[in-house]
Amino acid sequence: MIARSPHQQLRRRGSNAATLAALRLTRQIGEALADGLHGKHADDAARRLARLLGADAVALADGDRILAAWGRLDPAATAQILAEALDELDTVTDPPLRAAPLIVSDDLAGGLIVAGDVTDAEVAEAALLVATALDHADLARARERIAAADLRTLRAQISPHFMHNALAAISAHTRTDPERARELLSDFSDYLRYSFAATGDYATVADELQAVQTYLELQRARFDDRLDMTVQIAPEVLPVAIPFLVVQPIVENAIRHGFESRPGVGHIAVRGFSEGPLCVIEVEDDGDGMDPEHAKAVLTGTSGTNGTGGIGLANVDRRLRAVYGPEYGLLLDTAPGAGTKATVRIPRYARGVIAQ
Amino acid sequence: MKRLRVLVVEDEPSTRAELAGQLAEQAAVGDVVCADGGSEAVRLLGSGSFDAAFLDIAMPGIDGMDVARVLTRLTDAPAIVFVTAYDNHAVEAFGLGAVDYLLKPFRPERLAEAVARIDHHRSGPASTGEKADDLAVVQVELAGRTVFIRRDDIAYAEAHGDYVRLHIGPESRPPAAHRPGPAGRESVLLRQSLTYLEQVWDAAGFVRAHRSYLVNLAAITELRVTSTAGLVALTGAGEVPVSRRHSRLLRERLLQAARSNDRSRP
Repeated sequence: MIARSPHQQLRRRGSNAATLAALRLTRQIGEALADGLHGKHADDAARRLARLLGADAVALADGDRILAAWGRLDPAATAQILAEALDELDTVTDPPLRAAPLIVSDDLAGGLIVAGDVTDAEVAEAALLVATALDHADLARARERIAAADLRTLRAQISPHFMHNALAAISAHTRTDPERARELLSDFSDYLRYSFAATGDYATVADELQAVQTYLELQRARFDDRLDMTVQIAPEVLPVAIPFLVVQPIVENAIRHGFESRPGVGHIAVRGFSEGPLCVIEVEDDGDGMDPEHAKAVLTGTSGTNGTGGIGLANVDRRLRAVYGPEYGLLLDTAPGAGTKATVRIPRYARGVIAQ
Repeated sequence: MKRLRVLVVEDEPSTRAELAGQLAEQAAVGDVVCADGGSEAVRLLGSGSFDAAFLDIAMPGIDGMDVARVLTRLTDAPAIVFVTAYDNHAVEAFGLGAVDYLLKPFRPERLAEAVARIDHHRSGPASTGEKADDLAVVQVELAGRTVFIRRDDIAYAEAHGDYVRLHIGPESRPPAAHRPGPAGRESVLLRQSLTYLEQVWDAAGFVRAHRSYLVNLAAITELRVTSTAGLVALTGAGEVPVSRRHSRLLRERLLQAARSNDRSRP
């Protein structure tokens, strides 16, 4: 044990408190700028910056005008020193005012103006802190855009392969079985309607499994008796909200890799049921299966040569993790010659996950 | 009951002929009159009153929404059903008091559902003269003795000539003492029509699954679709076939029931 004098302990505790306060303010400034300089918490960021710097007043501006301010500032003098800092791209001093440019990923995003007993170095550091927070906010927004684009890409991925095969199968039935052809066209129409639906990011398990059934119905028109399918749903999972078009890529993959490429009868079983607080959806085929190492590569999207099916599964896995957390990814249970079982396990009730 | 006189308004000739043809095949439908657009529809309104109008929405000139606005101003206005390829008009359509909303291409069974709705709409809510709770317990004769069966214990009902066979769920079969006859009996016959039970037990969660089957939503443990048998509903008392015609409504009612179960959770 290290002995400390009462005086040292007191000083240590005092500096601890100051560090903690500074760290907390830094974090809060970052949070207040999460929506950018134009966000509604920018005023909050200005107030906390003033506290962190011990300044009399702080203002945040974009290239044109003041967006947020705390404390008393002379408008004309503020505008002038801001213009100078933005021109020179450096910290400008005109006591009691100081201004520094905000450079976010090599672009001029605005300026920071501070009034009070503050050094140039402190203003420059504060400007860097704000710029980092803004950069961070940009990245967070970019991440959301990428997640949304993922979903859109997946929706756009109605495979042309499948479309043409379905149309060929319908066409082949028009002469021999017009009633069946009519039904298949209704199925095809339902399938497109669901895939193109633009409402919200989540569907109900009822809708999702209905779409899968329609899809299987169309596939069966191609293979007839060669494709044997079962869809089983427990009523209690029907209303569960699930990310839109999560089950279908799995079924598509089962047809593609477990069935299309080999002769003989293939069986595909889709099951939806509850397991305590979880909703479980399983898609099982008795096809070729694959090496578990390869399955792992498919999920991480590093399998390379395996075509679109793999991208579909990796996408499903990523979306499930993004929505529910890392422990809710797609599970693949497979071995060469032993078929493949894909399992989606999601909470029946998750915060913010609402169908439509 | 008098058969329905129906107006079909659709600008595409093939779709018009198909819709009129399918409507004419419905037992409840009598006359079918066609119009190739909004203005002809309005002109035909002078030729006598209609019980129902099937309206395409997107048409050149006076469109389906315009026709609907005219129709709703008539005394004894016909029931309106919109028929469209896009589903982005649904909110406006129901705002105009539409009875139903069909998406093209429509399935025959879905059209039959729309006609049934029109029928229901025109005759008003079914008046069976009894409250929904009236048959909460049914009384049946079994080998000369009277047995009481709780409605909620019944998993499904099956038409059987002039009778209905009531299949009782496994965990709720009558106790042995009340159950004469061979052990394991899990169904009884009731002298009643399935249609009557469907009306009286509707509010209690019994839904038509098939021409000859009525199923208790609460008894369904699983919906199963297979390539060979189509859609069936599994109950503790056995499998109930679900026809294409009834599958949509059954799914909808199951979804609603599951939602209200969720809401009543502690």
